[in-house]
Amino acid sequence: MPVKVVEDWLNACSGCEISILNIGDPLLDLLPNLEFVHMTALVDHKFYGQLGEKPVTEMEIPEATVGIVSGGVRNEEQKHELEQIRKHVKVLIALGSCATYGGIPAHANMWKNDEVFEKINRHCSSTTPAPDQQDLNVPPWIPTCTAVDEVVNVDIRIPGCPPHPDWIVEALTAVLNGQTSWSLPERSVCDTCPVIREQKSGGGAVKRCFENLEFNPEEGLDKMRCINEQGVLCLGPVTLAGCAGKSGVPRCIQARTPCRGCFGPIRKGARPMVDMMGSLTSVGLDPKTVVDRRAIMNRYIGGHGFLTPLPARPAR
Amino acid sequence: MSESTVCQAGVEQDAMVQNPDPLVLAFCCNWCAYTAADLAGTSRLQYPPFVRIVRFMCTGMIHPNLIIDALTKGADGVIVCGCHPGDCHYIEGNVRMKSRAEAIELMLEDFGLEPERFRLEWVGASEGVKFAHVMRDMTRQIQDLPPSPYRTD
Ligand code: SF4
Ligand code: SF4
Ligand code: SF4
Ligand code: FES
Repeated sequence: MPVKVVEDWLNACSGCEISILNIGDPLLDLLPNLEFVHMTALVDHKFYGQLGEKPVTEMEIPEATVGIVSGGVRNEEQKHELEQIRKHVKVLIALGSCATYGGIPAHANMWKNDEVFEKINRHCSSTTPAPDQQDLNVPPWIPTCTAVDEVVNVDIRIPGCPPHPDWIVEALTAVLNGQTSWSLPERSVCDTCPVIREQKSGGGAVKRCFENLEFNPEEGLDKMRCINEQGVLCLGPVTLAGCAGKSGVPRCIQARTPCRGCFGPIRKGARPMVDMMGSLTSVGLDPKTVVDRRAIMNRYIGGHGFLTPLPARPAR
Repeated sequence: MSESTVCQAGVEQDAMVQNPDPLVLAFCCNWCAYTAADLAGTSRLQYPPFVRIVRFMCTGMIHPNLIIDALTKGADGVIVCGCHPGDCHYIEGNVRMKSRAEAIELMLEDFGLEPERFRLEWVGASEGVKFAHVMRDMTRQIQDLPPSPYRTD
């Protein structure tokens, strides 16, 4: 009997669903054991009946063993959808960094909802003003843009933007074998990076990721100097390893560009910004010169209170 | 003014400060600052009872996370005390702490904290008087701020 799966996207970009499709050959082995009973990205299954005949208060989510959701939660509609999914599945998987940590959209948490709405939806110079926040056809925002586990219980988290197909297979296989938990090993991107490290840099200002790195394209990565030590901000030291799947070199490093931190913190409770600032000073770089550190060092993890509007300092 | 009058002066004014009962953590390195704290004690020098000393082997091993953690879990202030530059038992632990301190000062803003809540001081092993003085000064500075926004009691 194949295991029933409900898959849905919330505040997502569809990259995570593409990653499921990207599983490739192993997907053929998995598919006979899985029955996707609902998948907004691929299956034409409506929430309120094919003709909208169901009452609008009752979202129709089929019963299933496994629920997979990508994307965080931005508005009441997504929240309702997520709560319904949680009610109808036994094991809930948060897929991708948006679902696990809030992801890129959670940058909005650096401002108050009204400020974001005014700036982006009302007064953006390059677009026409969008409907009013009070418009009944626009689902109201919830107070912050959250990760999935800030709204409902999550059993398994597969981070990454997008997550690597290898881990989706591994997590699904674990669930098929009756497990209800799975997680990536706690290692940093640096732990899996082959570049040359000397624990020091030339000092000075931290360069932005657009600046050219020094390397010989004819030579392998094991002949390139660590990106941080070249003075360019690389979030490898504070980012969970795994973006290259079960083997291989971290993806951005492969492309000879710095890690942006898409797999999120190495362990629960870590503060990547604090660790990264410490790490920059220990190779001798000037922490003052990091541009926009709060946003850049919390790039994918704005949920869970990591990004908030700055509290006003008491005036003195 | 003797040491005890200085202390009493502090107590008399307590009604006027914003945070009369602060929690101040002093992270001291074993070789200089902690020895100085010992000396302050054996010399009967007085400093406010709000200071809790935590001993580290060297300021070089105080990760920024420890300080941010302390401040975001309710400490009103953190002061790090180490050997004078050039005197570190482990050669350059204090130099490392100095550069980390810059990063910490920047990040206080990100956590909505006043810059006065964190301080780095060099206190040599024989400077018991300086240790007591620095602790009085830091406590006063923290008492003049409202209680930490992260304090839960
Ligand atoms: S984690 Fe990345 S790929 Fe997945 S929905 Fe979010 S932005 Fe898209
Ligand atoms: S900082 Fe970046 S380049 Fe250097 S070792 Fe870590 S991941 Fe590799
Ligand atoms: S190197 Fe960093 S940013 Fe790039 S894919 Fe890997 S974890 Fe993500
Ligand atoms: S031993 Fe005192 S600062 Fe290093």
